[in-house]
Amino acid sequence: MRVDTSIRMGRLDLQTPLLTGSGTFGYGDEFRSLVDYSRFGGVVTKSISLEPRPGNPPPRICETSAGGIINSIGLANLGVDGFIAGKAGVLPVDETKLFVSVVGDSVEEFVAVVERLEGVAGISGYELNVSCPNVRRGGLDLGGDRDAVAAVVSEVRSVTGRFMSVKLTPHYAVIGPVAEAAVRAGADAFTLTNTLSGMVVDAESRKPLLGNVTGGYSGPPLKPVALAKVWQAAQVVDVPIWASGGIINGIDGIEFMLAGASGLQLGSVLFADYDAPVRILEEMIEYCVRHGVDRLSDLIGRLEV
Amino acid sequence: MTDRNNTPIAEKGVVEQVRKISGSVWDMTIHSPAIAGASRAGQFVHVRVSDGFNPFLRRPLSVGPCRGDYLRLIFVVKGVGTRLLAGKHPGDIIDMIGPLGNPFPAPETDQYPILVAGGIGMVPLLLMDNQFVNSIDHDFLLGMRSSAHQTVDDVEIKRLKIVIASDDGSIGYHGTVIDLLENRLTELKRRKIVVYGCGPVPMLQSLKEVCVSRSIPAYISLEVSMGCGVGACQSCAVPRADGDGYYLVCRDGPAFRASAVDLNAGGRS
Ligand SMILES: Cc1cc2nc3c(=O)[nH]c(=O)nc-3n(C[C@H](O)[C@H](O)[C@H](O)COP(=O)(O)OP(=O)(O)OC[C@H]3O[C@@H](n4cnc5c(N)ncnc54)[C@H](O)[C@@H]3O)c2cc1C
Ligand SMILES: Cc1cc2nc3c(=O)[nH]c(=O)nc-3n(C[C@H](O)[C@H](O)[C@H](O)COP(=O)(O)O)c2cc1C
Ligand code: FES
Repeated sequence: MRVDTSIRMGRLDLQTPLLTGSGTFGYGDEFRSLVDYSRFGGVVTKSISLEPRPGNPPPRICETSAGGIINSIGLANLGVDGFIAGKAGVLPVDETKLFVSVVGDSVEEFVAVVERLEGVAGISGYELNVSCPNVRRGGLDLGGDRDAVAAVVSEVRSVTGRFMSVKLTPHYAVIGPVAEAAVRAGADAFTLTNTLSGMVVDAESRKPLLGNVTGGYSGPPLKPVALAKVWQAAQVVDVPIWASGGIINGIDGIEFMLAGASGLQLGSVLFADYDAPVRILEEMIEYCVRHGVDRLSDLIGRLEV
Repeated sequence: MTDRNNTPIAEKGVVEQVRKISGSVWDMTIHSPAIAGASRAGQFVHVRVSDGFNPFLRRPLSVGPCRGDYLRLIFVVKGVGTRLLAGKHPGDIIDMIGPLGNPFPAPETDQYPILVAGGIGMVPLLLMDNQFVNSIDHDFLLGMRSSAHQTVDDVEIKRLKIVIASDDGSIGYHGTVIDLLENRLTELKRRKIVVYGCGPVPMLQSLKEVCVSRSIPAYISLEVSMGCGVGACQSCAVPRADGDGYYLVCRDGPAFRASAVDLNAGGRS
């Protein structure tokens, strides 16, 4: 039995639903000797801001006794001009769909970054990161404010016709209102979710294990949280949803598709298994064969509640 | 820090031998032709210690002495990851990516190399000895807490003429490896010296002070927590000495010119 793994995402076709999540796979060229990008559905770059950002003091990553990992990278990135100068020529745009993640402290910063990226050929779309828990600057927790999210989306929409997903934090009790506002403002898709705010303490030394004290919690423990957000959003909006949170195997991927996701982003899992987009697709195909499903997309939103 | 031409290789090595050196120090020989052949001193492998996701992250370990198709990892059992590794048997498969990072630069022809190791920090320096300096006159100094914490066995100590210092005097010179270094620098006053160091951060801080104050070039290898190991996630930052942000240990290091990095923050002992 042949299983059709392609996914229609509004205006975009992906050959598989599996993408790499922002910040976990660099700018897209670092793994060239280790993976075959043409077998991935897509790659989302590290979040890019207007100016380069140095990031937070180390240590920046650790495991937790509850499973999963916490990071406090602090959005260290090259800045949009550095990205264009250093990376535009080496991105895997011929092999797969490349999405650039964009971050800013203000509506103007998001717009300025996207305006500069409009000149780079081959980019399939943007992911607006309005949800990073690791940056204190400006005190603008964009993702927590429905009007601010809508403003970012509509202003960015006015400068690009490219595909645009909005990546939200898992910190909402209810995700519906902000999702509806973002769709009205022109979002093509959502990414649900970014990391949860968390911290790790070392009792022996009485110190936090991260230089920034708090960080973003990711990996398997995030899965139930992200599943709930995907499902809640799928009840109220009709655009594609990219799931992000704790996916490490094919069954995790199937669960998210049943809950309403059409795309699956892999993050932390890539640190152990950089080729997970290929392995997980095979595991999902196995599930489809076992259940007589001949198109992966037939599973989207088929949760029986 | 300029040498960026290395390309990570994914290889499933096969454990050839695992043996205990002392208390919690283990020595593993792995058949891994591609990585063993490409590795240079100071580089590391990122090791997946379990088939599943417990623990979740790979573990970075320096490439030790390589012989033909075989590489050696020498490690201290600290937590869950290294404990799992020590439990491997001959024939077990080890999923690794490597060689990663930038190696130590080879000494210039007129330089007299001094290798300065603290505890398990001798691993990259054993490869250094074996690749670059065993044919030339050099010193290999090793500091340890006591004879119970030996990180290299007596045969190797003799063969490589390693000079030892211990904190409690139970083996070798009673004092620190930095005392040994200072003594040698005084004795070798008229030579052009280059120092290569690896060990706990306080030791590297003293090494840097000693070398910088005498204008002696020094290279050190650093350990920090890592995610990807290949320069993609920005997890492994170490502050630059010039205050202009951070280097990535997995990409710009692990071997750095000592004067380039700020050791007062961030490192891990
Ligand atoms: C480039 C490099 C080379 C290294 N070479 C060697 C070597 O040759 N021999 C050796 O014994 N050790 C070496 N280390 C340290 C080794 O990686 C850690 O001791 C090991 O990861 C501990 O894992 P664990 O699961 O046993 O301990 P845990 O304490 O359970 O580890 C928890 C987490 O912290 C990280 N961690 C803990 N200690 C360190 C450390 N010192 N440096 C970096 N990450 C750490 C682990 O990787 C893991 O993610 C090296 C580290 C780096 C960065
Ligand atoms: C080290 C690290 C860096 C990350 N950097 C970013 C980032 O720059 N922008 C972003 O939107 N998300 C970032 N994320 C979040 C991931 O893209 C992903 O949404 C999150 O980790 C949850 O998925 P996971 O459980 O599969 O890792 C980062 C995550 C990690 C672990
Ligand atoms: S460990 Fe990912 S950048 Fe160094």
